[in-house]
Amino acid sequence: MQQFIIVTLNGLTQAALFFVVASGFSLIFGLMRVVNMAHGTLYAIGAYIGWSIWDTTGNWWIALTVAPLVAVVLGVLMQRFLLTRVQGDDLQEALVTIAVSIIVGDLLLQRYGGAIRQVQPPEIITGATTLLETESLRVIYPTFRLFTLFAAILIGFLLWYLLNRTKLGMVIRAGIDDRAMVDALGINIDRTFILVFGLGALLAGLGGFFGASALSLRPGDDGVYLLSSLIVVIVGGMGSLGGAALGAILVGLAGQYGLAYTPTYAILITFVIMVLVLAVRPQGILGRNITR
Amino acid sequence: MKTNRQLNTRTTLGIISIIFLITYPPIMIGLARVGVIREANFYILQIGVQSLYLAVLSMSLAFLAGYGGMVSLGQIAIFGVGSYAFANLVAMNGHPAWVGIIAALILPSIVAFLFALISVRTEGIYFLMITLALAMLTFSFALQNRNLTRGFSGINDTQAPWFDPENLISSSTTFYYIALIIALAVFFLFSYTVKTTFGLALQGIRDNARRMRALGFNVTAHKIAAFTLAGFVAGIAGLLGVWYNGQMSPGAIDLTRNINILMIAVLGGLLYFEGSFVGAIFFVLVTTFASTFTNWLNALELPLKLGFNTLIGITFLLVALFLKEGIMGLFWGFLLKDEEEPSAT
Repeated sequence: MQQFIIVTLNGLTQAALFFVVASGFSLIFGLMRVVNMAHGTLYAIGAYIGWSIWDTTGNWWIALTVAPLVAVVLGVLMQRFLLTRVQGDDLQEALVTIAVSIIVGDLLLQRYGGAIRQVQPPEIITGATTLLETESLRVIYPTFRLFTLFAAILIGFLLWYLLNRTKLGMVIRAGIDDRAMVDALGINIDRTFILVFGLGALLAGLGGFFGASALSLRPGDDGVYLLSSLIVVIVGGMGSLGGAALGAILVGLAGQYGLAYTPTYAILITFVIMVLVLAVRPQGILGRNITR
Repeated sequence: MKTNRQLNTRTTLGIISIIFLITYPPIMIGLARVGVIREANFYILQIGVQSLYLAVLSMSLAFLAGYGGMVSLGQIAIFGVGSYAFANLVAMNGHPAWVGIIAALILPSIVAFLFALISVRTEGIYFLMITLALAMLTFSFALQNRNLTRGFSGINDTQAPWFDPENLISSSTTFYYIALIIALAVFFLFSYTVKTTFGLALQGIRDNARRMRALGFNVTAHKIAAFTLAGFVAGIAGLLGVWYNGQMSPGAIDLTRNINILMIAVLGGLLYFEGSFVGAIFFVLVTTFASTFTNWLNALELPLKLGFNTLIGITFLLVALFLKEGIMGLFWGFLLKDEEEPSAT
């Protein structure tokens, strides 16, 4: 029972990270139909730059603020100077983001090497919290992972508010449904694209820094989070915030239960979830049929 | 329609290329003997065989992407099934080589068929995402499932049946000619397939699936068939690959390798099967000699250290931005300026 609770909490922590990263991926895809293959790289930027800032200044909060902004800068530059050149061509857009991910990934590898790193969060949010204490059962969990969980819920709420209660959110939602119409209504869709790309990169960078603090940071993480983002949006539905949350929880829990109970076949559970969703609802559980 | 001059230029260049490919090993052995190059084996195996097996894999992608409109990032996983089939059966469980070869000819097609069932109902960028997810899941599975794949460290001693460590040149030359025969066979198979009724229907689906469906074509069945055929070819590439590498580990089918194949196909030009050869040779030469160049650059003590992947990434970015039709698109466009595009059938 105790193991089950811990595994569930691990799954939810992983889901929290998946959600933050994948919601950015999903937003970019939903509005711009760009498969941002550099999304995992933006995650790695947030993580590695965050680690560097934390390592030199010793201040976790500064790193939390600055590192995601570096990811935003990279994301916006990529959108502004590279993606606009090939706009409208799916394959070329994917290729450009792949090229950026190869280059940045290699530069990071050359700079940071293959060592596994971790960021130590400040004392108030580290240590362990006792969640449950009865005679037969005692559940203790790292405080920072709980913090990550709450941060993800907060980010989810802020995103929901942004998308559903603000003018920008209205434009984004309208753009997801019918891009040409929004453009025709006189809204500067190019500027919205840049904002959304920046927002997506911010979420990836934030996820990266939280991941480096809650779990660890190692080469190959960019691929792991690209894959999780892909599966989360395929399962949950493209361009849907609720879908990203649902997909992240499913994929996060499935991964952790799998690793705990059938280590050699863990990935197959994720695989089966994806295949089932594609067979029954190709647009994803909460996805809508999007016309191009 | 092809004009005569175009056909002649293409045929002449094709014949010259094939003659070059056939005479390549003796030329290299001769150059090594007179001392122009240091080791013939390196040029025959590392440059020659590697280019050929990558070209085969790249053609399977070019066929799907260029003529079926399906940019599959799942080819590397199917390649991996072919490699692992041979490695598991022959090197790990001691079955005779022919068992492994037959398995590598059958299993990848089955896996490709299953992948197709999952992915062909989607189109364009969704298809790319789903096949990429499938490939990455296959990679993770190979990493996790030690019983079948021995996990991270992989399976060793998967050399080709004729491999003889005492006589490298002769086993490499044999390998080269087998790879060449396979690569040319695949080239003619695909070149022929795209001209058949099936191939024309496939191109129709690529251009307008809805119209083809309205004309009574079974779009899904055509796509599944194309994907399975490409999977069969990717499996053969997997067999060549596992022989070439002499071992098989998840690293051979990771995201980087996957992207490399996409890059080779795009670099050569998705509409041109000969482009896969050009792309593969270009790629192999760049990866082989890039480290010399980056070592030289890094000796200048620039603020950022460069790996050779940075160079590959930059090449890729330039191709993605400026060379949409690949090297062969540029080449044929330049050579046959006044003619109709060879692909515009």
